[in-house]
Amino acid sequence: MTTPHSTKISLQNLEKCFTTAQGVVQTALSSVDLEIQTGEFVCLIGPSGCGKTTLINLMAGFEKPSYGSISIDGKPVTGPDREHIMIFQDYGLYPWRTVLGNVLFGLQARGVSAGEARARAMETLELVGLSQASEKHPHELSGGMKQRVAIARALAVEPSILLMDEPFAALDAFSRLHLQDELLRLWQEKGPTIIFVTHDLDEAIALGQRVVLMAPAPGRIQRILEVSLSHPRERTRDDFAMFRRELFNEFRLVHQQALQDAEYSI
Amino acid sequence: MRRFTSLLLSALTFLALLGTWHIAAGLRIYPEYLFPSPLSVAIGILELFRSGDIWQYVLVSMLRFGAGYGAAVILAFPLGLLFGRCLLLWKAFDPLVQVLRPVSPIAWFPLVSLWFGIGNLPAVVIIFLAAFYPILLSTVAAVRNVPSRYLKVAANFGASRGKTIWGVIIPAAFPQITVGFHIAIGSAWVFLVAGEMLGVRSGLGYLIIDSRNNLRTDLVIVGIILIGLSGLVIDRAMGLVERSVKRQWGDA
Repeated sequence: MTTPHSTKISLQNLEKCFTTAQGVVQTALSSVDLEIQTGEFVCLIGPSGCGKTTLINLMAGFEKPSYGSISIDGKPVTGPDREHIMIFQDYGLYPWRTVLGNVLFGLQARGVSAGEARARAMETLELVGLSQASEKHPHELSGGMKQRVAIARALAVEPSILLMDEPFAALDAFSRLHLQDELLRLWQEKGPTIIFVTHDLDEAIALGQRVVLMAPAPGRIQRILEVSLSHPRERTRDDFAMFRRELFNEFRLVHQQALQDAEYSI
Repeated sequence: MRRFTSLLLSALTFLALLGTWHIAAGLRIYPEYLFPSPLSVAIGILELFRSGDIWQYVLVSMLRFGAGYGAAVILAFPLGLLFGRCLLLWKAFDPLVQVLRPVSPIAWFPLVSLWFGIGNLPAVVIIFLAAFYPILLSTVAAVRNVPSRYLKVAANFGASRGKTIWGVIIPAAFPQITVGFHIAIGSAWVFLVAGEMLGVRSGLGYLIIDSRNNLRTDLVIVGIILIGLSGLVIDRAMGLVERSVKRQWGDA
């Protein structure tokens, strides 16, 4: 079980700048402070250009901060870590490997013995309901099934953090709802800390214990909303609608601000 | 049914070509020994079959081709992997490759024959030169085209350098690399005859040169037909490999 109030991820005064091809320095993220607890489910949401993908890439160690610090379990993040697995919108599956082969990849990279790796991979495929498809290749699967393979591949190595970058954005509405419920079930069963980037308000409120709303130019945290509803959440209930309305109003504010800024800069 | 129709069409074209050729030869604009009829070419083929020389010609050429092409793969493929992964190194060598690539292997003839004398080696070197650049360039391009998220996933799971190269980069680049290998087969086979005109006394190229010297134009045409057919067989075989790779990768 998760111990209450033990900090998993700590971002302090985080800043990230990029230099464009024209030599212009752009600030993608500015003075971000955030503490994420062990076992917490946090959603990052915001309009495009708010730096939510940059933020999750920093946590994954794919990019380095320009300023400030980012630490996980009290240790500074220096690069990608097998304990912190990223899940991409376009799945990142290896098309030449079967479903089983894809789930095996992480275990093989860790040097787990062949027999044990196979057993663990099959077990994880069972967990996501894909044990029947283990010998199929990714191109034979639907988008939702592909993403479940990617989730199984991540869970097989028992990571302490799942970093999910708009994982369900490419799916149809039904698959998306189904996978949201699946993800909640897996989260409750396995207890990893989950950082979930989305641009879908309903998705953020259905999943996150906290929803971090971000604003663009420069990317920053606008507001953090605590969603004090227990899982599973009934999407049609009034309290759900209340949180939705609150987030929506804030979101509109951010959007108007961004439009004004754009006008001023013209 | 459609397959049958297309087969019928190509058979008709072939027969029409044979007929035209037969009539043209019958007009005797050139004497028979300069412009042989299809019949005498057929007799020539039978002659080679009966003496058993035909297998010798084809086999020797295939072996030389295999040696030259194989050497090109062994050298160009790892080099392509290296250049594809190390941008700085590729920047250093790219201009050199771009200058050497358009040079026809035939331009190397004088040097190749001076350096490698006579025998199998000059022909092998010419085929090597013809295959080397397409393989190198397609491997570099294929490696550079490997989607970065494949590499991110590998890094994320802590895959070793070896596991990343053998388990991710090579398989990810493989479909595009086989296309390059396929193209290289075509362009290298074209230079087989040229290579075999350099001081060898066997093979399909030699059959053509030798037959010309003996004024056996029927056998010159036999040589041309054999080169075309063997090239077709190799190309189709490589095409099968390419397609099965694509099917397994899910690109087809």
